[in-house]
Amino acid sequence: MTEKSWIYAVLEAAQHEMREDPAMTWIFELTPPVASNPDMPVINLETEFGRRRVVNTGIDENWMASTVIGAGLAGSRSVTYIPYQGAAMPFQVIQNHAGKLRHMTGGVASIPVVFIIELTGQTPGFAGQHSDYELDTAYAHIAGVRTVVPSTPYDAKGMMTAAIRSPDPVVFLNPAGLRTLSGEVPDEPYEVPLDKAAVRVEGSDLTIVSSGPGMPVSLEAAERLAEEGINAEVIDLRVLKEMDTETLVTSVSKTRKLLTVDQSYYTLCPGAEVIARVAENVEGVRYKRVAFPDAPPPASPEMFLWMRPDAENVAEAARQLVG
Amino acid sequence: MPNSRDDSTPEVEALDRVDTPEGAGPTRRGFLRIAGLAGVAASLAPQIARANGRIGYHAADLSDERLTDLYRMILRIRWHERTMADKMLSDPDYRGYNHFYAGQEAVATGVCAALRNDGPFDQIDVVYSTHRPSGHALAKGVDMRAMCAENDFRATGLNNGYGAEMHLSDPSVGFIGADGMVGPGPVLAQGSAFSFRARGSDQVSVVFGGDGTYATPHFHSTLNNAKLLDLPFIYVLENNLYHQYAHYSYSSPHYDIADAARAYGIPAEVVDGQDVMQVYNAAYEAVERARAGEGPTFIEAKTYRYYNHWGAPGAEVGQLGAFGYDPLAISSFRPEREVRNWMQRDPVDICRATLVDWGVLNAEQAAQIEEDIRAEVDEAFAWAMEQPLCNPEDGVKNVFATGEVPARQFG
Repeated sequence: MTEKSWIYAVLEAAQHEMREDPAMTWIFELTPPVASNPDMPVINLETEFGRRRVVNTGIDENWMASTVIGAGLAGSRSVTYIPYQGAAMPFQVIQNHAGKLRHMTGGVASIPVVFIIELTGQTPGFAGQHSDYELDTAYAHIAGVRTVVPSTPYDAKGMMTAAIRSPDPVVFLNPAGLRTLSGEVPDEPYEVPLDKAAVRVEGSDLTIVSSGPGMPVSLEAAERLAEEGINAEVIDLRVLKEMDTETLVTSVSKTRKLLTVDQSYYTLCPGAEVIARVAENVEGVRYKRVAFPDAPPPASPEMFLWMRPDAENVAEAARQLVG
Repeated sequence: MPNSRDDSTPEVEALDRVDTPEGAGPTRRGFLRIAGLAGVAASLAPQIARANGRIGYHAADLSDERLTDLYRMILRIRWHERTMADKMLSDPDYRGYNHFYAGQEAVATGVCAALRNDGPFDQIDVVYSTHRPSGHALAKGVDMRAMCAENDFRATGLNNGYGAEMHLSDPSVGFIGADGMVGPGPVLAQGSAFSFRARGSDQVSVVFGGDGTYATPHFHSTLNNAKLLDLPFIYVLENNLYHQYAHYSYSSPHYDIADAARAYGIPAEVVDGQDVMQVYNAAYEAVERARAGEGPTFIEAKTYRYYNHWGAPGAEVGQLGAFGYDPLAISSFRPEREVRNWMQRDPVDICRATLVDWGVLNAEQAAQIEEDIRAEVDEAFAWAMEQPLCNPEDGVKNVFATGEVPARQFG
């Protein structure tokens, strides 16, 4: 075990798989697959595997996504890293081809590819297009594509390994705000399943469910609540599709109070789906939903930081729920 | 001889190729022909050398006042850039960031000088900009004080603090606006041109785009449809050699991206983007073509940005970030020699030298203008810093034309 940065953990997974599989490819723009870590060798997929397999392209996310789909259809496992600036550009081909081809072909077609979709939403000042965190909802809505959003470097590596090895197309949401995280990550390859939520904190007074960049604020809120004698159970969804209903239902059956936390817009945020699934399965639950308002994020830090859910927003909503 | 890059092209030849002047009376072009001075030729040769032979020398027919305005505008953009960079390095209260335009000033200035910038909204020409918009904005007529306030997220800024640098917009001067995305801008811009044609207006729509736009599907869709519909549209491609951190050879097989426009049947000019006169000449002809209903034009301006892709407050010279080596610039980064080489052909210097050569300004007047511009820029930044911050709760306004959306962050 070594303390590793988020991106080092992700690229370590990819590096291992690319060494194992000489047919595997990686396509990027703007964001070179390069990472360094103290006391570890620099990872540079471009120099290690060469520019036939690792391609730095111009700004064309539709090409990137389409090309890995085509590579996948031809039998090459492939990954593309879509930076947040172009996170929605490849939507159509992921929704209409990656998501549908296996089913439309009666199970004949296979697309073993990973779309790393970087999402932002953390940095005040950039406004609208470069501060939004909304596409988790959009990608999670697509049938036939597994959509995951890790929140720790450990999960990032394990889910990347599982995603590359999966016979299904995987949208691997990569929240830009979590890139600064580091944590204990094994050097060896391992898989974190693509269909399981994780209980991060056990508690009995209420259940807080979040994902990706909503996790740090949810965990911080849980700590504040614990100091006040409120024991929150905190669940990290990790997987938006197919969502792990069982873990949610088990927890809320115990607490009977559910608070969802999203950096995404309120309407149709992952929390809305969480609440719907729990409501279908558990009687007598009280609910609250914290999310970004249905407004594009404004540039002004004063406005943006007021709108983006923070730990105190989460803690206060939890107090009202249990009070 | 289209698209010559022959640096040895003699000045006399270049002048011989010019079109007949439209206006009557004595012209600066006529003066140049008569004078035929070796000194003038020598001073102009580097600027004309890269010109496409078919470009007329329209800038020479501009009044002294308008020529001086070109110089003023280049300086306004330059000192806005430099002042902003200085504030990032030195003022802990300053919060704005910038995608720097310094080095490229002559492109925005020369293009916008050929456009109709004053008048009712349904008569002025429109400009679509990029994520590197401050030069385009100033050149189109956006108020510098309001822009400075917007870039520092002030409630009284150009867009009330909602947009900041990458989303500057002022339709009142035809500056439809900046765009944080690479790709959609050109298509949107030709959409405006589509409406001008549909309603019989003689307005022109201009998009600025970088070399990075070539790779996008939008580039090709724009040119194809603008040609098919003969739209009054001008694509100004500022080839500053790098899309973010990668050399444009990673994204385009062409040395001149203009070659791609010609493949779509669109007249294309390659100009020296460091020489405002060349840029103006090409833009002038493009605007004439568009207003005459003869369709789109593509202008590729060879230029260079002096600073890194972008800069932010707290920058330190030589440290990661604004002005030093950039951590993301791993695949390809700019050799220092290349930066220095381009800075030898500075758009401010070239414009000043031209105007002094033409007898429009003397060195003293040029220096005074620069001093006045610096005072204007300093005042604009000072005014901006005194403006009120935004009211947090206003963030849920302006989502729709009326009303506000509910706050959801409190559960």
